[in-house]
Amino acid sequence: MKFLVRLLRRNEGKGYWVLNARIYSFLLWGLTNPKVLSPELTLSQMLRIGVQALPMASLVALSVGFILAMQASTELGKLGADSFIPDLVSLSLMRELGPLLIAIIVVGRSGSAVTAEIGTMKVNEEIEALRVMAISPVRYLVVPRYLALVIMLPILTIFGNCVGLAGGWAVCAGTLDMPTSFYIKHAVDRPELWDLYSGLIKSVVFAHIIITIACHQGLNVEDGAQGVGRATTNSVVFSILWIIISDAILTGLFFFVS
Amino acid sequence: MKNPPKKTSDSSDIILEVRDLVQVFNGRAVLNGLNFKVRRGETFIIMGGSGCGKTTLLRILIGAQKPTSGSVRLFGQDITQLDPEALDKIRLRFGMNFQFGALFQSMTVGENIALPLQEHSRVDPSLIEMVVKMKLELVGLTGFENFKPSEISGGMRKRVGLARALALDPELLFSDEPTSGLDPVMTAVVDQLTLDSTRKIGVTAVVVSHDMTSAFRIATRMLMLGSGPRQGEIVAEGTPDEIRNNPDPFLQQFIRGEADGPIPLRLSQDDYLKHLLGDG
Repeated sequence: MKFLVRLLRRNEGKGYWVLNARIYSFLLWGLTNPKVLSPELTLSQMLRIGVQALPMASLVALSVGFILAMQASTELGKLGADSFIPDLVSLSLMRELGPLLIAIIVVGRSGSAVTAEIGTMKVNEEIEALRVMAISPVRYLVVPRYLALVIMLPILTIFGNCVGLAGGWAVCAGTLDMPTSFYIKHAVDRPELWDLYSGLIKSVVFAHIIITIACHQGLNVEDGAQGVGRATTNSVVFSILWIIISDAILTGLFFFVS
Repeated sequence: MKNPPKKTSDSSDIILEVRDLVQVFNGRAVLNGLNFKVRRGETFIIMGGSGCGKTTLLRILIGAQKPTSGSVRLFGQDITQLDPEALDKIRLRFGMNFQFGALFQSMTVGENIALPLQEHSRVDPSLIEMVVKMKLELVGLTGFENFKPSEISGGMRKRVGLARALALDPELLFSDEPTSGLDPVMTAVVDQLTLDSTRKIGVTAVVVSHDMTSAFRIATRMLMLGSGPRQGEIVAEGTPDEIRNNPDPFLQQFIRGEADGPIPLRLSQDDYLKHLLGDG
């Protein structure tokens, strides 16, 4: 595995796919030598990227659950199908809106911060200093952030799904007098395990997209402060674009698979 | 019986050797066929005016940039031909003090100095803590371990940069403008630190500087890079006394810091006209 790391280092800085390959070579190397993965740095990034995003993710998820239930109650109420509101809220959150909206929140909050941080380090010669100290910037800066987001985004998504369901329950219990036990039974029983898994697979793919684009943009900053601003904008725009495209592809795949 | 021929210089004594080094940017040769050697234990000063290619040369010497042509032999190996893995092994043998410190802003002073030790040594964290304190004492910053780089002055940051560069006890120290922007007292302090590192610890130093007072204070050998019509070539090389007594007007103007002389500040009248008319 060290051979693969060496081989890829010769092409350092030569593009997005090389960065991806380098991340994976370090992850594979880390299987036999955990020190390569810098567990302490990964934990601190999990705290910064994941745990500190909880309040914002919760607020968005709660609002989405609320909106879904309100919109559904208007239309389904006309058909006398109010009892399907918990099913709709639950399925929409697990399959689609949970992973997608939490990912978009993380792009704006953490993806942009990672690009700005790494970009500023590049401008301040900190990346150069790492290289001169024989420390790989990909191993030291990128891999801990990658691991942190790939672990934390699915966790945030599960948490967001639960908070979104609570938002839906608030509407159902408050305006439709739906019993809580009925809401919980339908919201939990209706989705299959695959619905949860498909959402989590999406969130892992989104995490990969967010962090690799953010780090690649940050490591390739040129032209000082203006370059940092440009890279941060690119990071957010490209991440959202590729998240939505990959969501469409994955949804299509899951549609045919299931 | 014949005596074996005496060697004029021991090749193992040469720590850095630059041969026919050329660096071209946009068709302009910033460095043009440089040749020089640095021996173990020397404090070698590279000086020259702004834009003469000092920092470019330093970046090539530390392996941060590939030259257009030529070789840089560091510890006997041509670093321009090495793969990154082999270059990293060489990098563990030298320290680099960046012009503006290049300290990690998110870390404390102590964490900055500890980083190379944590990454490249297997010593106990308590021992690393002790080494950090020793290095901070060496640069006169005892008790500043927990300060962030943004909480200390520019001069202090330069000294922390020096402490970090010396963290792994390197054989060779590269320093980029270590005294620029410092007051005379702080300049003397940083110079004394460089002298302590070279004379007492035995570190070889390659220092890029345009501060003449500082350069003559610490140098054992000096090299002057040309600019303008002599861009990219070595104007003079020698001991501080040889440099002082060198009659080259270009060199003398630089040493004395005179406004009038062969170092061109502006274009000639013909070149200026060409530039204005878009021919140059």
